[in-house]
Amino acid sequence: MYLYDNFDQTITQQRIGEFRDQVQRRLKGELTEEQFRPLRLMNGLYLQLHAYMLRVAVPYGTLSVVQLHKLADIATKYDRGYAHFTTRQNIQYNWIKLEQMPDLLAELGSVEMHGNQTSGNCIRNVTADQFSGVAGDEIDDPRVASEVIRQWSTFHPEFAWLPRKFKIAVTGAAHDRAAIQFHDIGLQIVRNEASEVGYRVFVGGGMGRTPVIATEVRAFLPKDELLSYLEAILRVYNRYGRRDNMYKARIKILVRELGAEEFIRQVEEEWQASDRALVNLPPAEEDRVRKFFADPPYEKIAVPVAAFEDARKNDKAFARWVATNVHTHKVPGYGAVTISLKPPGGIPGDATDKQMHAVADLAEKYSFSEVRVTHVQNLVLPYVKLADLHAVWQALGKIGFADANIGLVSDIIACPGLDYCALANARSIPIAQQISERFADLDRQHDIGPLQIKISGCINACGHHHAGHIGILGVDKAGVEFYQITLGGAADENAAIGTLIGAGFSGDDILGAVEKVIDTYLELRQSGETFIDAYRRVGAAPFKEKLYGRR
Amino acid sequence: MAVVDRNGPIADSWKRLADDAPVPQGGSVIVSLARLKSDDNALFAAAKNVGVEFAGDVNLEEVLAYLPRLSLIVARLTTMRDGRPFSIGRLLRERHGYKGDLRAAGPFIPDQVLFLLRVGFTTFEVDEGFSIDALKRAVAAFTAWYQRSATPATPTVIELRHPGNK
Repeated sequence: MYLYDNFDQTITQQRIGEFRDQVQRRLKGELTEEQFRPLRLMNGLYLQLHAYMLRVAVPYGTLSVVQLHKLADIATKYDRGYAHFTTRQNIQYNWIKLEQMPDLLAELGSVEMHGNQTSGNCIRNVTADQFSGVAGDEIDDPRVASEVIRQWSTFHPEFAWLPRKFKIAVTGAAHDRAAIQFHDIGLQIVRNEASEVGYRVFVGGGMGRTPVIATEVRAFLPKDELLSYLEAILRVYNRYGRRDNMYKARIKILVRELGAEEFIRQVEEEWQASDRALVNLPPAEEDRVRKFFADPPYEKIAVPVAAFEDARKNDKAFARWVATNVHTHKVPGYGAVTISLKPPGGIPGDATDKQMHAVADLAEKYSFSEVRVTHVQNLVLPYVKLADLHAVWQALGKIGFADANIGLVSDIIACPGLDYCALANARSIPIAQQISERFADLDRQHDIGPLQIKISGCINACGHHHAGHIGILGVDKAGVEFYQITLGGAADENAAIGTLIGAGFSGDDILGAVEKVIDTYLELRQSGETFIDAYRRVGAAPFKEKLYGRR
Repeated sequence: MAVVDRNGPIADSWKRLADDAPVPQGGSVIVSLARLKSDDNALFAAAKNVGVEFAGDVNLEEVLAYLPRLSLIVARLTTMRDGRPFSIGRLLRERHGYKGDLRAAGPFIPDQVLFLLRVGFTTFEVDEGFSIDALKRAVAAFTAWYQRSATPATPTVIELRHPGNK
């Protein structure tokens, strides 16, 4: 993974010094809260319902063992012994004291981490496929572009005060595991007819109160032109994006109001007029960055691996976990393990300090000391030998992280909701907990098959409900929490926005309604048909009828 | 009101000219873009120095013809969070070769001055409460950056990493 050089470290240290000064000026009253607010947000610090919340950047979801141990220590020292992995592959602490922030940031800085640009109207932490570098279906490793984008977007002087937040995601494969079409900019690494590597560029996707699937603005952008093209998009947005209404300020609204054709024309015109050579990354720097993502020293392993095959044969529970939680690896004899942070009744994405230390120890022993965070709020050990999988599975079982439910009904995305968030209308976590408890039986989950449930506690859609096969949106109805159901959303290369199927359900009734939707699918599915495929075949009608009766 | 540069307060003799005020003989006047467009010949003939002021919604095409004769451009941030002048600064310096004084006005805070400098601003119109101490610390807060500045005084991190590579 990428390691800081002296320049990266200097910039991170200087940022800590700058924020220390800003906190002191705020505490002395030299900065008003209105002036301080955007500064603290750009350092990842939110003021939530009960306390300050700190969001720490995990660039494109990649963590070293040293970093994960430090994150665990911080949970012990500055929080209540746990932390929360987010849909931007970041980690959040919920109980932070403002006066402790500079010291906390100094601790993070000691392991090349920070909260920079994890909030605020700037370019946020770039996200990428959690299987970067290990998936067999990759054209190029998206971590190279992601790190280049991380550096370019860090304290970019022109783009620190955008109309609204700005999110970029990169995937290196045709199968999209990074939800790129729901991002302000989505980059898909592709080859053109001449077999040159470049990017298919999408702009203007997003969730929120106006969900939009991104527009393809360029079928092929040559690889070396990435930064100048990003600057052209950002400049058009920075100059012309709406600033009069924060709900209409995302780039998706600019694309819609200008029309895709005119937006593309303006971006291309800006790009052609710019001095691209000054902005594009020199090849020598790309080479330098790329070296950090070279393959780890894999062993040459003959397959099939007898110990692994035997364990799979003799241990049904292990075999089931392998089926859902182990992703095919590009190197024979290895697998990429997804660690489920979704135990029955648990809080999606939460991990205790002890669990984080334990995962770090496993990564050190079995996965070249590297861990990934997924946008579905799970963790990944990217380089595990098949022969070690059984031991890893058993060790995960000891810390409650061995649920065989990746991609299944209980692998739920949920925002923090009204339990923490100042914006929420309804609680999300208890709904996720109820669903995962109701469907705790693994036989039942595996029978239901691939199914993504995503829950947001308000219209801002941090829980990605628009992209859920089953989406659940919490709303406030005259002071009471209600939950609306959407069906048919998808965040992959077949991106779709879920359709609202009818009136909402009370907190007491939502679990039963979700169960009815799933029962309806089980009744009507054809052989081998997943939930989303069945929904695409039959539409919303049978589900509506089951939930609301005939009209 | 005071005017500062990166080091602190500076002497300033620019005066704003209301759109309906007569053109003075001599002196340094700041006018709106509308006034500049309607009265450019009179202004450039009479005033010693002419400056123009606009906000982030400006159509830069309308300014370009005057650039060689302008000694000052004031770009106003309508709020602290108004990022448009940051793009305008780079465009004026990098694309249109503007060499005169580029001044930011509006409710920005000292912490924003370093980025304004990096996108090409040179002077800053501030109110009485603007802390010069905070300004001095803010402009020295960073000594390294990944992106080229509009008026490059120091090399970027990328250039420093590859000294032989031009």
